[in-house]
Amino acid sequence: MNWDRLQLKPRIISAIQRAHLKSVREVLVVSEPDLQKMTGLSRPDVQELLHAAATACRTHQPITALQLQRGECRRLESGLRLGTGCPVLDQLLRGGLPVGGVVELAGESGAGKTQLGLQLCLSVQYPVEHGGLSAGALYVCTEDPFPVRRLQQLISEQTSLRSDVPPSLIGRLRFSDNIYVEHAADLDSLQVCLSRRAALLLAQGRVRLVVVDSVAALFRCEFRPDDWLERNKQLLTISSMVHHLSHEFSAPILCINQVTDVFHQSESSSSSPSSSVSPALGLAWANQVTVRLMMCRLQATVSRGDQSSALRKLEVVFAPHLARGGRVLAVWREGLRGVLDPVLAPFGPDVAQQEKVLPLHLGSV
Amino acid sequence: MNLPDQPAADHVLINKPMWTHMELPSRPTDVTKAATGSGSAGRKRAAVSAVRMRRPVSSLSLSSSVKGKLVRAGFQFTTDLQDLNPEHLSAEAGVSQQEALEALQAASSGHGVAPVTALELLQKEEEFRSIVTFCSQLDEALGGGVPVGKVTEICGAPGVGKTQLCLQLAVDVQVPAVFGGLGGQVLFVDTEGGFQVQRLVDLAGAAVRHCSLLAEDEEQRVAMTTFTVESILSNIFLVRCRDYVELLAELHLLPGFLSDRPRLRLLVIDSVAFPFLRLHDDLSQRTRLLQSLGLRLIAVATGHNIAVVTTNHMTTRLRGGQAQLAPALGDVWGHAPSIRLLLRWEESRRLASILKSPGHMDASVQYQITCQGFRDADQSERPQSKRPRTQTDQSASSRKNTGM
Repeated sequence: MNWDRLQLKPRIISAIQRAHLKSVREVLVVSEPDLQKMTGLSRPDVQELLHAAATACRTHQPITALQLQRGECRRLESGLRLGTGCPVLDQLLRGGLPVGGVVELAGESGAGKTQLGLQLCLSVQYPVEHGGLSAGALYVCTEDPFPVRRLQQLISEQTSLRSDVPPSLIGRLRFSDNIYVEHAADLDSLQVCLSRRAALLLAQGRVRLVVVDSVAALFRCEFRPDDWLERNKQLLTISSMVHHLSHEFSAPILCINQVTDVFHQSESSSSSPSSSVSPALGLAWANQVTVRLMMCRLQATVSRGDQSSALRKLEVVFAPHLARGGRVLAVWREGLRGVLDPVLAPFGPDVAQQEKVLPLHLGSV
Repeated sequence: MNLPDQPAADHVLINKPMWTHMELPSRPTDVTKAATGSGSAGRKRAAVSAVRMRRPVSSLSLSSSVKGKLVRAGFQFTTDLQDLNPEHLSAEAGVSQQEALEALQAASSGHGVAPVTALELLQKEEEFRSIVTFCSQLDEALGGGVPVGKVTEICGAPGVGKTQLCLQLAVDVQVPAVFGGLGGQVLFVDTEGGFQVQRLVDLAGAAVRHCSLLAEDEEQRVAMTTFTVESILSNIFLVRCRDYVELLAELHLLPGFLSDRPRLRLLVIDSVAFPFLRLHDDLSQRTRLLQSLGLRLIAVATGHNIAVVTTNHMTTRLRGGQAQLAPALGDVWGHAPSIRLLLRWEESRRLASILKSPGHMDASVQYQITCQGFRDADQSERPQSKRPRTQTDQSASSRKNTGM
C-alpha cells in the first residue's frame, strides 16, 4: 500500500509503517483508541488518518436520485433491463430482469425454469433497443447436463418468437457461439468457476448474464441437516461472490432454485400465498436475493396447431420495484410465451393490454 | 469516569459527555510523582480554582507518551496545567517545549459541555416533528411517525416491505413544512442493491398528488411549486456500499457530509445486516464493529438532529428447542436502535408491530403496499385536511406520555 497517495503528514505515515498497517481497510476496521495505541499518534492525527483512509476506500461520491434517473451515473444505475423475449412476461417484470442484483427463479421440477434460463441466454444477445444487453451468457450446470438439443431448437425458432426484431438482425447473431457452458459438480468447483471463469468473461464483456442451474442441488447433497452452520457460511460466500460479480459488471445473475414442501404456513411467508411449496435453502438464502420469482405448473393445458403445452404461472414473490403478481404462460417449440385469454382469468390477473398472441384453443384437463 | 457525588438540587441533571464533572474537593495526587514541590503547588492551585470545569489529562488529545509523562509528573487534571508557561512545564514533566505548548493549548481549549435539564430536553424534542409514513395507523402508534434524533430499526423477512418503507420515508421527509412535514433531505446508504429509481419515481409522484389534493390555502399552493417529483429526486443522495468496510468508511465521512448539508433530516441504511452477516469468520471483530457503529449512529442522530433508520434481516434462533424468528446481528446490535419495528406476514395480511420503544406501547397495525407506496390497509387514498403539527401537538404528546 502506497501511503504517500493519501497525502498525510510524514509523521503519520511513519507511524503507520511502524505499526505494520498494510492497507486502508485495515486502518478502518480498527477502533480509534486501538489505533491511537498502535501508532502512538494524537487524536487529531488519528482522525486525519481515518478521514484520508475513508476517502480512499470510498468508491463514489453520494449522487442524487435525479442524476441516477437522468442516467448521469451509468455505473450505478444503467437503467437497463434484460427482456425475456415475451412482451407479457416483460410487462410483469416492468421491462425485464434488473441488471444489478441476484434474481432467483424457484419452482418444482418440470415447471420450466431451465426453459426460461435458456430463453434468457438467447435474449441477452440482442441489442439494447430490443431488450438485450449485446453480450453472451454463461450457463453453469450443477445437476443435469446442459440441454444442447433444446437450445438448438430454440435458436432455429427465434424468428417466430421474436416477431418484433427484423429477421436480418436475427440471422446475423451467432447465438451458440456466445453461450458458454460450465459444469460444477460441487461447491468448490462452483466457487472457482464464479471467481475465475465468470469474472474473466464478464470483465472481457463477452457475457452479461450468468445462469446458475441450480443453486440448491449443491447445497442439498453436500451437507447433512445438522451441518447448517457450515452450510450457511458457504451460502453467504457464494452469495457475496455472485453479488460482487453482478454489481461490478452490471450483469444480472439468475439463480435457479428448487422447492421444498411447506406443511405449516409460518409467519415468514417467503413463498407466494397460493402455493404449498417454498423455495429451498431457507431464510439465509432468501435474505440474499434481490428478486424472487416462482414458476409453477397449472392443471390446464393449451394447444395450438399440432403443439400442446401444460400451462405454467410465473409469479413475482418479491422485488424492490415490482408489484406481486403473476402471468400465465405456455412452453412452445420457440420458447416461453405469456398467455392472454380472458377465460384463463382465474389463473392470473387481468391484463388490460392488447398483445399479439396466436389464437389458442383451451383443451380440457 | 466520576459522576458527581451529590445530585444537584431539584431537577434531574443529564451530563453529557460523562467525563466532565464539577470541581470536587481535590484528593491528594498520586505519590509516585517526581520529587520537588510541584505536586503540592498543583494541589494548592486546584483548591483555589473552586468552581471551574476540569478534565483528566488522559482525556486530552495528545500522544500517549506525552500524557504519560504529564501524569507521572503529577499533572492529573487540566486545572493543574493552568497558569503554567511552557518552559516551566517542560522542565517539570520532562517533555519538549513543543509538546508542552501543545499540552497547554489542549488543556485550555474545549471546556466540555454543561449539563442539560430533562425539561429542556423535553422541550427540544417537542419542537422536532416526526417523519410520517403515510400509513396513519402506524403514525398514530408511533406518536406522529418515525422520530427525529433517534435510531429506528425496521426488521422483517425478505419481501415484507422494509425497503419500501425506507423509500417511502425518503419521500415523506421532504414534504414541505406547511403540510406538516420536515422539508428535509435524505442520505440513502444502500448495501443490498434494493434502491430502484423506477419505484422511487412512483412513490414521489403519488406523494405530490396526495399533497396537491390537500393544498387548501395560498401558502400550501406556493409550497407545491417546489414540491415536485424532480425536486424530490434531487434531495435524495444515494451511496452504494459493497461491503462492511465501505460502510464504515462512509460513516467516517458522514460528519463532513452533514455539515455541508444542514437540511439533511434522514439517514437510511438499507440494510445493516447484509454486509455484516458476511463477516462470520471473526465474530469478535463483528461484535466490536457493530457496537461502535451503533454508538456512532446514535451520536449522529442526536448531535445533528436527524432520524436514522436502519433495516435488519431475520434469522432463526433456537430457543428452548424451538426455532423462532428473531432480528439478526444479535443483542449487541439490538441495543443500538431505540425503536424497533417488525414487519411481518400473517396469512395474507401485512402487519407492522412495535417491538421496542421507550415511549410507545407495543402495538400491531395493518398496512399495505400499493403502487403508490406504503399505505393504510383497507383504505384508498383519503385526503384528510392536514394542518401543521402545532395544533395536533397536544394530542400527540399526551398520547406519548400515557403510552408508557
